[in-house]
Amino acid sequence: MLSTKGQVLERLLKGEFICRTTDEEGWRFLKNPANREQVDDYLSQLNRTVAMVGGSTDSDVFFCGYRQLDDEERKVIAQQFRDTCNALAPLAEWLVLVQEAGAQDAPLTEGTPVRLNELQTIIEDTPAFREQLARISHYRLFNSNSNGVDGQLKQVFKRLCDLGYLTRPNPDKQIYLATGKLDHLYEVIRFIDETESLDLEARAETASQSNLL
Amino acid sequence: MSGDLHQTGVRFLKQLARHADPIMDAYLSGSLPDQALEPAVQDRLIKDGILYRPEPEADLHLRRTVRSLLEEALRDDRNRQIDANTGSALVTFKTLAAHYKEARHQGDYAAADVYLADLKEHVYAFGETLRHGTRVLWSRLNNEFGYVGTLNAKIRENELAQSQVSELLNGLEMISFEELAETAGDLRDLRRLLVTRLQRTVSECAQELSIVQGRLLELLGRFRQIRGRTRLLKGWLLHLEQHPDYRIGNHTGAKEIPQLFNQATPILAPAAVDIHNQQHENELLELIAQIKALQPQERSLQVPVEAAELLLHEPETFEVQSNPIREAVSAYFCSVIDSGLRLSALEYRQHQALPWDAESWLYQVIGGFEGLPAEQKRHFVLDPIGEPHPDYSGNFIIRDICLWLA
Repeated sequence: MLSTKGQVLERLLKGEFICRTTDEEGWRFLKNPANREQVDDYLSQLNRTVAMVGGSTDSDVFFCGYRQLDDEERKVIAQQFRDTCNALAPLAEWLVLVQEAGAQDAPLTEGTPVRLNELQTIIEDTPAFREQLARISHYRLFNSNSNGVDGQLKQVFKRLCDLGYLTRPNPDKQIYLATGKLDHLYEVIRFIDETESLDLEARAETASQSNLL
Repeated sequence: MSGDLHQTGVRFLKQLARHADPIMDAYLSGSLPDQALEPAVQDRLIKDGILYRPEPEADLHLRRTVRSLLEEALRDDRNRQIDANTGSALVTFKTLAAHYKEARHQGDYAAADVYLADLKEHVYAFGETLRHGTRVLWSRLNNEFGYVGTLNAKIRENELAQSQVSELLNGLEMISFEELAETAGDLRDLRRLLVTRLQRTVSECAQELSIVQGRLLELLGRFRQIRGRTRLLKGWLLHLEQHPDYRIGNHTGAKEIPQLFNQATPILAPAAVDIHNQQHENELLELIAQIKALQPQERSLQVPVEAAELLLHEPETFEVQSNPIREAVSAYFCSVIDSGLRLSALEYRQHQALPWDAESWLYQVIGGFEGLPAEQKRHFVLDPIGEPHPDYSGNFIIRDICLWLA
C-alpha cells in the first residue's frame, strides 16, 4: 500500500489536480507546509514542483508544475496554453448554462453538486437552453454528434469528467461534483482579464444594468 | 389598580387568541383587507391597538409591537429590527437611579423599592435587547441570508447587518462606567446593578458583536468573489461575442511564466508486471485464475461464425501413385493363383528378373501377405523356408518364402 505521500506524488505526476473534492486526504496532506515541502523535494529531482492555483499559501488546489523552464518545457506549456484557450469559450458557456438553468447566484465552484437529471429536465423544458446546449455540445472540445438533449448532455458530462472538471463520486448516481480544476479555469480567465485589461466585470455589470432598464 | 391591570391584560391576550387567525394572516401577508373582518371586531382590534390603519383608505396592518412579539416568538428570519438606541436607555437608567436615591434619602423605602425594581427591569431589558440583536444577526449569518433570493440582495442585506453592528458597537462605546459609578454612588444595590451587571453584559455582547462583524466581512468577501466570478464568465462571453476576431495573447511567451500556466506533463505510466518477483506470485496466480474463469464466458459470448454453404459435388478423381515393388508383389500373388502351384518367392524374382535385392523382396512379400484382408488371406498359405539361428535359440532366419493356395 502507498502512503498518503506516495498517493499524492502519484496523482501529481499523473497530471491530476488535487483539491478537497477529488482527494480530501491528499489535500489535507498538502495543506500542511511541512508535507508540501517533502513532496516538493521529491518532485525537484524530476524538475517539477508543487504548484498552487492562485499561487498563494492559502490555496486549495494543487497541481504539478515545472521547476525550471527550458526550451522543451516552454514548448509543452505553450501547447497547453493553446489548448486551454481553445477550451475557454465552450467551458464558460457551459458554466453559464448550468448556472442559469439552475437559477443560481453562483457559477459552479469546487464542491458544488450538479444533478444531471434535474438539469436535463430544465433544459428539455426550455427552448433557449436547448439551443444553447446544442451549440455547446458541438464544440470540438465536447464533440457530440447527437441531436437529442439526453445524448448531448451525457457526452458533455463525460468529457468534463475525462478532463477533470467534474467527478462522479458514486457511479450509480447521476450526481456530479465540480472539482478544483474549475477554480483554475476562473483564475486563467481572471489572469487574461487583468493582463490584457479587458475589464470584463465592468462590462458584464453595464450589460446587466442596461438589461434591467 | 394592579388587579384591574391584570384583568385588562388577560382580556387583551384573550382578544389576541380569539382573533389569532386574522392576526396571523396580517402577519404573514403584511396587511388585512377591510372585508376580512366584521366591522365590530375590526373596531375592537383597532381600539385595542392590535391593528391600525397607516393611511386613510389603506388596508389594516399589525401594530409594530404585536409584530415584533410574533417575530420574537417565531424566531422569524425576516426580523431585521435591531434597537441600537443606547443613549435613551442610559438616560432612563440615570433618571430612575436619581428617583431611587431621592426616595432612599427621604426614607421612603417603599417607593425606593419600586424604583429599584423598575430600574432592574430596564437594565435587564437593555441586556436582553442587546442579546436579541446579536441573536438576530447570528441567525441571519447562519443561513447566509438565505431568505433573499439573489446575490445582490444578499450583499445589500450583509451591508445592512454591518451597519447595524457598527451602530450597536458605537452605542456600547457611549456607556461610560465611570459616570454610572458616580451615579450609583455608594449605594450597594445600585452599584451592583449599574456597574457590575451592566459591565458584564456589555463586555459579553461587545465580544460577540466583534465576532459577528468579522464573519459578516468574511461573508461579504465571499459574496463579492462569487459575484465577481459570475461577472467574469458573462463578461468573457460578452467580450467574445462583441469581438469575434479576438485572440488571446500569448502569455506563455514571456520570460517569466505565471505559475497558473506552468503545468507539467503527466509522466507516470502504469508499471509492468514482474513475473520473477516471488512476492507477487500469489496475486499473479489469482489474476490468471480470473482470466481462466472469464474465458468460457467470453467464448459463450462470441457469436458463432456463420457456417459456410455446404455443396455436394463429385469427388475429384485422383490417381494413386503406384509403387512398382507392390505391383510386383501383386503379380506374384496372381501368378500363384493362376498356376495353383507352390511358388518360391526368390525363384519368381529370379524368373521375372526383378531389380530389388532378395531381402527387400522377401520383406515386401511378407508385408503384402499380412496386408491382405482376412477373407483373402485365408486362401493363401505362406511358408517361410530357413533355419533356426545356430547360436541364439528363438531366432529363425528366413532364406526364402513359398506361397501356394490353401
